[in-house]
Amino acid sequence: MGKKTKQIAIYGKGGIGKSTTTSNISAALVEAGYKVMQFGCDPKADSTNTLRGGEYIPSVLDLLRENSRVDAHDAIFQGFRGVYCVEAGGPQPGVGCAGRGIITAVQLLKQQDIFEELDLDYVIFDVLGDVVCGGFAVPVREGIAEHVFTISSADFMAIYAANNLFRGIQTYSNKGGALLGGVIANSINTDFHREIIDDFVEKTQTQVVEYVPRSLTVTQAELQGKTTIEAAPHSEQAGIYRRLAKRIAGHTESKVPSPLDAKELRAWSAGWADQLIEIERRSERLVANA
Amino acid sequence: MSIVETKIRDLPPASLAPAKTNSIEQIRYGCAIGALQSVAAIPRAIPITHCGPGCADKQFMNLAFYNGFQGGGYGGGAVVPSTNASEREVVFGGAERLSELIESGLKILDADLFVVLTGCISDLVGDDIGAVVRPFQERGIPIVYAETGGFKGNNFTGHELVTRAIIDQFVGDYAGEQQTGVVNLWSLLPYHNTFWRGDLTEIKRVLEGAGLQVNVLFGPESKGVSEWKAIPTAQFNLVVGPWLGLSTARHLEHKYGQPFLHVPVLPIGSNETARFLREVLDFAGITAGPARDKAEAFIADEEARYYKYLEDFTDFYAEYWWGLPAKFAVIGDATYNLALTRFLVNQLGLIPARQIITDNPPDEFREEIRAQYRRIADDVATEVDFEEDSYAIHQSLRQTDFGHKPPIIFGTTWERDLAKELKGVIIEVGFPTSYEVVLSRSYVGYRGALTLLEKIYSTIVSRSA
Repeated sequence: MGKKTKQIAIYGKGGIGKSTTTSNISAALVEAGYKVMQFGCDPKADSTNTLRGGEYIPSVLDLLRENSRVDAHDAIFQGFRGVYCVEAGGPQPGVGCAGRGIITAVQLLKQQDIFEELDLDYVIFDVLGDVVCGGFAVPVREGIAEHVFTISSADFMAIYAANNLFRGIQTYSNKGGALLGGVIANSINTDFHREIIDDFVEKTQTQVVEYVPRSLTVTQAELQGKTTIEAAPHSEQAGIYRRLAKRIAGHTESKVPSPLDAKELRAWSAGWADQLIEIERRSERLVANA
Repeated sequence: MSIVETKIRDLPPASLAPAKTNSIEQIRYGCAIGALQSVAAIPRAIPITHCGPGCADKQFMNLAFYNGFQGGGYGGGAVVPSTNASEREVVFGGAERLSELIESGLKILDADLFVVLTGCISDLVGDDIGAVVRPFQERGIPIVYAETGGFKGNNFTGHELVTRAIIDQFVGDYAGEQQTGVVNLWSLLPYHNTFWRGDLTEIKRVLEGAGLQVNVLFGPESKGVSEWKAIPTAQFNLVVGPWLGLSTARHLEHKYGQPFLHVPVLPIGSNETARFLREVLDFAGITAGPARDKAEAFIADEEARYYKYLEDFTDFYAEYWWGLPAKFAVIGDATYNLALTRFLVNQLGLIPARQIITDNPPDEFREEIRAQYRRIADDVATEVDFEEDSYAIHQSLRQTDFGHKPPIIFGTTWERDLAKELKGVIIEVGFPTSYEVVLSRSYVGYRGALTLLEKIYSTIVSRSA
């Protein structure tokens, strides 16, 4: 028997920087000497691109589409410093059931005992957007990830998605499912952004794991098909990702969050929107008076 | 025969009524995709199923095999092709697989009409079946589709969906003349009603005897798809039964401007059948003149023959009275339940002890169905229950007062053990009828009523054999 693999799931609204952040966490962990697998759970199958020089890999479901029996090894590819990359993949947009696809892909690797065989320290699931159906909740369910992190900006829609995820976690929490590690606050460049996120985590009884600012370094690295850790290892941003990776690696105690209900969430966001408008007005007055 | 007096049955107090269990023990209908048997009931039509392995076979075995051992026929049962959808069709969608199946099916199956029926997998995943079937339709292939996922309802619902699909996608638009004296018949659910073949044959026979031309649409007497194509040319639609077929008739009224006549009581015996025929004749506008005279002559002739047999039967009935049951229960679908209850009360003078309707009629029809039972005869009214769970049904029968004579239960195979327990007699008249082999037997109309009498009293007198 090898060591126990630590399994982590990272969720967040589409376009929020999930894959970017997850890939940098994976890169930072392999750099620190751990054996890591990043498992992309998104029909687009592009979670691990920046770990492999911008290259796409065939997904588990691509293989399943061609053959009824699939050797999971055929779906595992190595990238930056040996990180293992897997993409669940999915049907074409508009047909089939992507949620069932995620279930099928995750089960295939589990059934073939891949995590144990590769003697992994970390498996990080990078999961598409919201928990819209049972399929996308699979990494949260019993026996898969133990800790869930959500990536959110201070944007209200991203926070709604995070709150929905909390509801999913709450549902599975008494059935042996994963618990919440905290929020990775992304694109946080002002104090105001920070205040919104801080207030949200306080209301929902969780914590911010790390504040990640928006940075051009990330964009430049992505354009090269690389993570920031690989493309700009000495940058400030790389340092932030390493700190985040370290926190996640060292994280042990997850909790059941207290998601806001629809009414509370609306009231909460309306309160912040009023403040936001007030700030905008003030800055407009300053410009006019100048 | 005498007409009995009874009062509206007092419902058992709440403490005695079995609590709703939220579960169903011993089913009394199939899934919506069970309507594949409705397709098989149309001569030279073949269903094509897009569902998981086992769905089509289970429906066939339930509805057409262990129910009178009716068999699959030309296009049903083991003939029915299926995509046998598996995980691959769930994840990636099953449209391609279905297209492939239809294409290869066309090479080896010879049919006048194909009907694609979908199961839960396809309907949940959201396969676009229309997009799969349309290119075949454009090639001139007689093929239609109906989405019959299990969550849409039972096989009664499936039957209406299939009927609607054939009308809209195959029969199509029509703006021509309608032919006086031609009628489309919408009545028993094929296969589910164990005696549908014989019954539809008898209904067609008496309507034609009265001078009408009948598109019976399903069963051995149907001419197949040519009859379906002729639906819009009929003078009117005739719905026989409390509710099934009404939505089709309403649709046809809207689509072709065709009126419909709804006769809730499927006629059993001379009185009911004569009344039925006169109602239909009046609706058809055949109220007087030579056509009506001919119809009346047919009725008189049938009646004479019917009562000749009954006259002979009375010796037995009068002599054997001490051994015959007085109170009865009917457990079955709304159509047969109402028809049998009326016949048993009005023609045999039996007393209704418990009537339970098991086909889950839509709520909108229930009040009218209850009203039918409250006027079973001029001086007999009874209450009807709607229940699908056999546990609750059997509990309810156990609590029924059948008097001092052994009860006679018109039910299904599920009531066999209970009939023994109650030391009563069981006549299997509905799904599932697993201890009867049924070919052309009918229990309706003039001839069917006599067969029903034979069945009832043969069962009773042979009990002690």
